[in-house]
Amino acid sequence: MPDGSGSGAGAGAPAPDPFRRADPPILTLTLWPNRSLTRAGGTWLMALLAAGLAAPLVALAGSRAAWGLLPFLVAALAALYLALRRNQRDGRLREELKLWHDLITVERREPQGRVRRWHANPFWVQVRIRDDARIERYLTLQGNGREIELGAFLSPWERESLYRDLRAALARLRSGLD
Amino acid sequence: MADAAAHSHADHHDEPGFFTRWFMSTNHKDIGILYIVVSATLGLVAVAFSMFMRLELMHPGVQFLTVDGEANGHLWNVLITGHGILMMFFVVIPALFGGFGNYFMPLMIGAPDMAFPRLNNLSFWLFVAGATMAILSILVPGGDGLTGSGVGWVLYAPLSTTESGMSMDFAIFAVHLSGASSILGAINMITTFMNMRAPGMTLHKVPLFAWSIMVTAFMILLALPVLAGAVTMLLTDRNFGTTFFDPSGGGDPILYQHLLWFFGHPEVYIVIVPGFGIISHVVSTFSRKPIFGYLPMVYAMIAIGAIGFVVWAHHMYTVGMSITQQSYFMLATMVIAVPTGVKIFSWIATMWGGSVEFKTPMLWALGFLFLFTIGGVTGIVLSQAAIDRTYHDTYYVVAHFHYVMSIGAAFAIFAGVYYWIGKMSGRQYPEWAGKLHFWMMFVGVNVTFFPQHFLGRQGMPRRYMDYPVQFSLWNEVSSYGAFLSGLSFLFFFWIVFYTLRYGQRVTEPAYWGPQPDPTLEWTLSNPPPAHTFETLPTPDMWDHSGARH
Repeated sequence: MPDGSGSGAGAGAPAPDPFRRADPPILTLTLWPNRSLTRAGGTWLMALLAAGLAAPLVALAGSRAAWGLLPFLVAALAALYLALRRNQRDGRLREELKLWHDLITVERREPQGRVRRWHANPFWVQVRIRDDARIERYLTLQGNGREIELGAFLSPWERESLYRDLRAALARLRSGLD
Repeated sequence: MADAAAHSHADHHDEPGFFTRWFMSTNHKDIGILYIVVSATLGLVAVAFSMFMRLELMHPGVQFLTVDGEANGHLWNVLITGHGILMMFFVVIPALFGGFGNYFMPLMIGAPDMAFPRLNNLSFWLFVAGATMAILSILVPGGDGLTGSGVGWVLYAPLSTTESGMSMDFAIFAVHLSGASSILGAINMITTFMNMRAPGMTLHKVPLFAWSIMVTAFMILLALPVLAGAVTMLLTDRNFGTTFFDPSGGGDPILYQHLLWFFGHPEVYIVIVPGFGIISHVVSTFSRKPIFGYLPMVYAMIAIGAIGFVVWAHHMYTVGMSITQQSYFMLATMVIAVPTGVKIFSWIATMWGGSVEFKTPMLWALGFLFLFTIGGVTGIVLSQAAIDRTYHDTYYVVAHFHYVMSIGAAFAIFAGVYYWIGKMSGRQYPEWAGKLHFWMMFVGVNVTFFPQHFLGRQGMPRRYMDYPVQFSLWNEVSSYGAFLSGLSFLFFFWIVFYTLRYGQRVTEPAYWGPQPDPTLEWTLSNPPPAHTFETLPTPDMWDHSGARH
């Protein structure tokens, strides 16, 4: 168990790793935070800034003053590039939920490379949604001895619809429809 | 997928103490308020300087600025330098861009905070450090055996490279720190604006104030590094024997002017563009009509920002440029009137046929339109190289730039304060007081600056503390106007104090009544909770275009 959170669905026999299961799941959901800048948009932004900053340098090309300006212009360009990259990386958060008949897994990949995993038997999993003091439509999954939050970075209506989808999927699974 | 029990939001329930909240703040709203408070305080200093200058100029002869009974021009030069540096770098931009920009731009785009909250804190404290250096530069040993440097806010070489004492170095570092603060702030704003807009809010749907902050941030990022380079070269010329601006070593003092104005002209748009954003929202709210021509308004701001970078030498027609160069800068300057006209006419068209209500913020917005238009028209006059030969460095120029960007920006700040103070504090100002403040200041600034056009046409040069008796009539009138404006500024501080202490509580989130196109801050309580939009807002909260058509 990567997170050592106790025995999983298949307790008893040496459990196969639930996160390496080969058969296709009934349901796969991938959640990620909102980022409004596209890759092309970022390129345009950097190109515009570089062109704008180059203007005074072109005028001063060959003069000593160009060397006086260069470090500051390059620093400004680099600073915006690093800021955008950092912000984009902060948004590189993924939560992947997979559902099989006898297993539900959630894998969260964080920007700094940390991976957090949870799995349980879907028959005993409880999906809860409530209005927290701070967080509207706070969505959690409880099972296998833990309660985890899901989609903290989503908007309340997205969590609401995720909640309904999950409830429906679990209900169908438990009633044998899937 | 943190465990729900160890929920990462849990710590938000703790109320931070006073010190933690205001001195270690990473909250965009608190930092916005800090910017506004500090810039208002520095504004008081800068306004006090101008009151003292108008007192000295009220009558011919030198009455107050004397050392051992002798008139001393250095004292005067220190006053104009201090007034300029403080107002340009530490009052107007921090209030509009740092203050309102920080507070309302993330709210309007539905972002939970700025992209880099701790960088935001660093920007603020760099600004405070820079302001401290600027004040200190007035007090430490400077030129002419006195304190302070008297070189004008533009810090022209060779005057600035030869001014003795450490005061000049303090001023250079003040500009440096303010520049670093603005650049970091701009990077933060751009990242927030580009990457953290609510889902579905495309660039053509962003509220105009948020757009104005984006345009300003981009201009800061293009212009401030050039200033940083220029003043660094000043610094090395002063202290390390380089000769960037010294002809005896192969340098060129005119090059400094080019660099300064390559930054300086965009700087005046950096000052005024966030004001455009505020005025757009105020005019729309109090006309009960969506802003006329939203897209042209956006592209006009972008065009003003872009053209602002190619007109700088109209500040230096008299330095000996070729006729071709002068013709180019003249034409390019006049072109700016086109996008500016688009904005002015769109504001008027927004009011046209609307149900206009003359509440205090609307009065300030109308005052802005009036002053900005007068200043814009004298700008067209000054843009002509031939005519500038006679007006250059006269009071006509002083009148022009105060109308167009200084009091123009001040009116935008006051429009913003009265428009949003209920949102920021949860208390509303007394309407009569806001209106009295407006009329005092509106009459005051016009009486101050309109006669300065006459003085300029009579040939009175700027940057002198004395003048012949022939100029005395309009100087006296101008001084009375200045005192009235100064009083109105003190009255403003009383209004803010009264509002925060005893003002009527406003609980309705949209307290200006139904708005045609309300932005996201009007969905929040007054004042908004410390953390807003931790969960993303939905398009129906901000996109009202469906209802409009």
